Amino acid sequence: MFRVGLVGCGTIGSVHAQGYTRMEDVELAGIVEVREDHGRAMAQLFHTTWYPTIEALFEEAEVDVIDICVPTYLHRGYVETAARAGKHVICEKPMARTLADAQAMIDVCEENGVRLFIAQVLRFFPQYRKAYELLQAGAVGQVGTVRTTRGGVFPTSWNDWYASAENSGTLIVDMIIHDFDFLRWCFGDVRRVYAKSLRGRDLNRLDHAFVSLRFENGVIAHVEGTWAYPSGFQTRLEIAGTGGVLEHVGDEEMPIHLSLRERIGRSEGVAVPESPLAKDPYQLELEHFLACIQSGAEPIVTARDAYEALRISLAALESAATGRPIELEVRS
Amino acid sequence: MKVGIVSFAHMHAHSYANALQSIKGVEFAAIADDLPERGQAAADQYGVRYVGDYPALLAEDIDALIVCTENARHAEVVIAAAKANKHILCEKPIATTLADAQAMIVACRESGVLLQTAFPVRFHPAVQRVKRLLEQGRVGRILAMRGTNRGQNPGGWFVDPALSGGGAVLDHTVHVVDLMRWFTGSEVREVYAEIDTRFHDSLAVDDCGLLTLEFANGVIASHDPSWSRCASYPTWGDVTVEIIGTEGTLSLDVFRQHMLLHSDLSGHTTHENWGDDMDSLLVADFIRSVAERKASPSVTGEDGLRALEVALAAYESATSGQPVRIG
Repeated sequence: MFRVGLVGCGTIGSVHAQGYTRMEDVELAGIVEVREDHGRAMAQLFHTTWYPTIEALFEEAEVDVIDICVPTYLHRGYVETAARAGKHVICEKPMARTLADAQAMIDVCEENGVRLFIAQVLRFFPQYRKAYELLQAGAVGQVGTVRTTRGGVFPTSWNDWYASAENSGTLIVDMIIHDFDFLRWCFGDVRRVYAKSLRGRDLNRLDHAFVSLRFENGVIAHVEGTWAYPSGFQTRLEIAGTGGVLEHVGDEEMPIHLSLRERIGRSEGVAVPESPLAKDPYQLELEHFLACIQSGAEPIVTARDAYEALRISLAALESAATGRPIELEVRS
Repeated sequence: MKVGIVSFAHMHAHSYANALQSIKGVEFAAIADDLPERGQAAADQYGVRYVGDYPALLAEDIDALIVCTENARHAEVVIAAAKANKHILCEKPIATTLADAQAMIVACRESGVLLQTAFPVRFHPAVQRVKRLLEQGRVGRILAMRGTNRGQNPGGWFVDPALSGGGAVLDHTVHVVDLMRWFTGSEVREVYAEIDTRFHDSLAVDDCGLLTLEFANGVIASHDPSWSRCASYPTWGDVTVEIIGTEGTLSLDVFRQHMLLHSDLSGHTTHENWGDDMDSLLVADFIRSVAERKASPSVTGEDGLRALEVALAAYESATSGQPVRIG
């Protein structure tokens, strides 16, 4: 039995909370949330207790694991508090806003003998997992070029923190870090990064980025991120090799499209696509992390992987800001 | 109006030949080719005369030429044709060096003949429609564009650098850069590129690349010109441009007018295109410009030069590892 304390119950926090409530042998011990009304509502929804601070949670509840789903720039502080209290840590991606923070998080967890997992959830999405497995099986031969797209409408959030490049690192740090992590999983380390983005162009809640990656193994990747669409969210992945092309177009792989006739009191007849899964990727990921705590095994995605993905994001940001290609030193 | 074709080295010569035969008021007069076998075969196929290599055709009483030689021979043929007072539709890329392209433009200007670069994609109805939507300001101000023009390795002289001047990046950059220039009304100011040969063993030219661009007006863009489609891919390749604007986004997939054919004959699925033939729309436009004695064609030699300049800058960037500024 794991007792999990959740810190931050916004969009992703509530997805994690739901995941925990669906698991056997896991108790959601409490929710820490700065917005009292919202925190109380979430606590009621997920049949647990609201706490105003992580300290209050520790005082009143027994927890083994802390799951941190607050905005990126706040991760380090909560990870340090949790690790020093001897709790294992699951922390939302991106790991941190700076490499110094990310390293401090790894260090503090090591020093206190607790596990640290970063929720780079893309590796648990069945379509990306399938792509990874097909690559391992050599389904497209030797890979030459890869293209990814991720994004949609500009996200809304508490404090509008996504709109702060300082706090969120723009979509390059916040969102396409998913693709950076996935591509590292598939193709190994990145040698060189070049990027262009709309950051700093006085646009009201519009952002778009093109990132060019050259991997150590020679693969050329185009990673596109957008918060410039009028609506929706989409993902695409294309991997081209000497013997095949693998194409994933997210919005064309929906098994259900519900389209309703317009009626008074009901808005337009927009078709709402759905792609239901027996277990959502977030629950799969959290179950995997808890199983790793139980067994002591290495996770599918390590904190070091998350650190390396952040390194790519920050190099892309730097390239976009300076106009120069950034060569990454190979570690390990 | 009498029109000839110089060389069937480039496969587009066939669709231009078909177009010539279908346009009223045009006489597809003769074919020149430095390879007699290839020239004679084409002449037999279209029921026209084969006259030998291009000087023989220039001596004839014809009004215009379509030049489909290997890229590296464009300059020689076009300059000679200009001196012989023939109007010219030249296959893309316009040339393999900026000096050649410039000399071609000057020769045509001095002779007062039209030099049109064969960028047929501009004439596709879907592309024309996108141009109008942009002119109407439907997506607001353009902020970013993502282009692709992928394909399969054409082989033959295309992979001989002495004749082609370059591989996938030269072959498949110019169409989409031309569209982007046309859509934005701005010139590419900076080019960064990753270029390599990763799909075909021991190829003497590049077969893949990724260009990251910035235009003079601040628009950012990326373009993928790779010969990255496998043999069993359902179609030869693509031309796509997605435009991100302040008021919305506009996605163009030029060859999307297709149905799917699943066939045991081919062993895989194929795209069966039912859209308009842009090559014949291009040729019709060129013929119209000649017939109406226009001062300049719809797509100029300068347009060809600008697109070539971007492709050559991409090679320079890939060699130096740094972004290359243009202009």
